[in-house]
Amino acid sequence: MESNKNSLMKIISILSLTSVMALLVMGCRNEPQRLPYLGNIEVNGSDTIYHTVPDIALINQDSQSFRISSLGNKVILADFFFTSCPSICPKVQKQMLRLYDRYKDDDRVMMISHTIDQRNDSVEVLKRYAHNLEVDIHKWTFVTGQKDSIFDLADQYFVSVVEDPLAAKGFDHSGRIILVDKNRRVRGFCEGTDPESVTAFFDTVDKLLKEEYQ
Amino acid sequence: MPQISSLILLLLAGSLSFIGCERHPYSQGEIIYKYNCANCHMDDGSGLAKLIPSLDKSRLTLSEPAKLVCLIRNGLPVNKLTGQEMPPNTILNEVELTNLINYLGSKYALKPQTVQAPEVKKMLAGCQTH
Ligand code: HEC
Repeated sequence: MESNKNSLMKIISILSLTSVMALLVMGCRNEPQRLPYLGNIEVNGSDTIYHTVPDIALINQDSQSFRISSLGNKVILADFFFTSCPSICPKVQKQMLRLYDRYKDDDRVMMISHTIDQRNDSVEVLKRYAHNLEVDIHKWTFVTGQKDSIFDLADQYFVSVVEDPLAAKGFDHSGRIILVDKNRRVRGFCEGTDPESVTAFFDTVDKLLKEEYQ
Repeated sequence: MPQISSLILLLLAGSLSFIGCERHPYSQGEIIYKYNCANCHMDDGSGLAKLIPSLDKSRLTLSEPAKLVCLIRNGLPVNKLTGQEMPPNTILNEVELTNLINYLGSKYALKPQTVQAPEVKKMLAGCQTH
């Protein structure tokens, strides 16, 4: 009995010692680490080519043409939605609002919501939506474009969007919120349907801002 | 010995379920809310800016079960100012509606009124469809 107890204590203390050490090592390693680059990375001799989201021509809620590059060097938070979406979009936009509130006064950050419903979401509909969401369209812009190019663009952002007659209002899509750096490289994402994932994402965005604007 | 431990277990389970009841007086209704309404009105009923109303602000409707039953059943047409609509819910039966309404009433109504399934059935029959 007594020796059993002793060896149990030994095992416990060894376990706790190793876990403390592991934590220390991980802690040290994590600190200087940069955010990962998501997507394909090609190495061409001494050049490394990262996956970038294309700078395609879109149209914003004011009928003006819009390209990511026209924003200047900004960190971007993006999602894909449609205004009459009865499933996940309101929850995702609610989380986008949390991000909006957090970075409202930070000029380094811009937000883009892309509609995937080209038939119903005209420029006017997008404008009315933005107005009723009570956000500043100079900070958070709402865009549409050619249907095929928007669907392709979603792919490049690693957001799945499919037309599905069986889904609510005909679209099936993921509620990811994507983080893109100044050079249009994808650096992180969270699940906009999950508030906790978004809370953790705050740190990811802050990390990128530190990395990009030293 | 086994008798005592089973007694303790029973007591523990009893007190747990009691605590459970205290915290969620209408837990069935809460689950029904999560699956049928929370996508739009949010888990905490806060809605989405001007697009989807917060349930806190609609205490009047929520205090009138008969109105609420019909609102849920028939939905609301597209609002011209926001472009948003509330779709009709034809899935929920009168028992589920009863649970939902009692949950909403307890959470948001100024003067909560509890309803029973037979009353809800009558209310449903009285709804004007459009
Ligand atoms: C697809 C989104 C959606 C779903 C799902 C939904 N609603 Fe609504 N609800 C709305 C919108 C949008 C309005 C406001 C319509 C308007 O502005 O005329 C509304 C209005 C309401 C109102 C009236 C608020 C007021 O003060 O007038 C209540 C109460 C309400 N909903 C309760 C519910 C309940 C209960 C459920 C679940 C059975 C539900 N809603 C499901 C979108 C939704």
